[in-house]
Amino acid sequence: MLSHFFLMVLYSLVVSLFFTALWKRERKEQTKLFLQLFLGMVGGGLLVAWLMYPFPQGPPSPIP
Amino acid sequence: MAEPLNDPQPQPAAVPALPAEPVGNPFLAMVLAWLVPGLGHFYVRRAARGALFLGLVIVCLWVGCSLQGNLYQPLAGQPLTILATGGAMGMGLPYFVLRYALGYAGDVVGAGYEYGTAFLLTAGLMNWLLVLDAWDIARGKKE
Repeated sequence: MLSHFFLMVLYSLVVSLFFTALWKRERKEQTKLFLQLFLGMVGGGLLVAWLMYPFPQGPPSPIP
Repeated sequence: MAEPLNDPQPQPAAVPALPAEPVGNPFLAMVLAWLVPGLGHFYVRRAARGALFLGLVIVCLWVGCSLQGNLYQPLAGQPLTILATGGAMGMGLPYFVLRYALGYAGDVVGAGYEYGTAFLLTAGLMNWLLVLDAWDIARGKKE
């Protein structure tokens, strides 16, 4: 369970499901919004991680 | 002799129809929604949505506590913790049960402390939104 990627995906999943159920009622709209939110969060996280790759690394992280 | 009135009587402005019928007492819906995540939606007859929201908040709480995240409380000299506490308290009864009945405090040196804090704070903030949603549904302003 202690994995940066797993926790990021889990967090994105929970938040995306929440806002989809809160904002949309039609199944088609729900699917579209869910995918936009989920892929946006996971993809955005990976993009930011990639942009930060050249930065100097700190001490070893307790999470792999 | 008075002239007959030819002007048409002013008509009252049309009131826009609400998207749904009001359901129950909005204040009670808000209180129930705050106390137990999802309960406000059960009260306004949106049981399926209420069950989903309850499940999502419980997942956030469970993961946050498993990772030993911080359950915010106000700290002297750190005014932002007041804001964060207000956010975390949005989860309602679970906040007080965790803090005062179970003595939960988190573990600042735990490996998942930051992630856990994010999950716990998100649980509270999500429930604040559910409180507003239950209010809107109870007033008939939302389906």
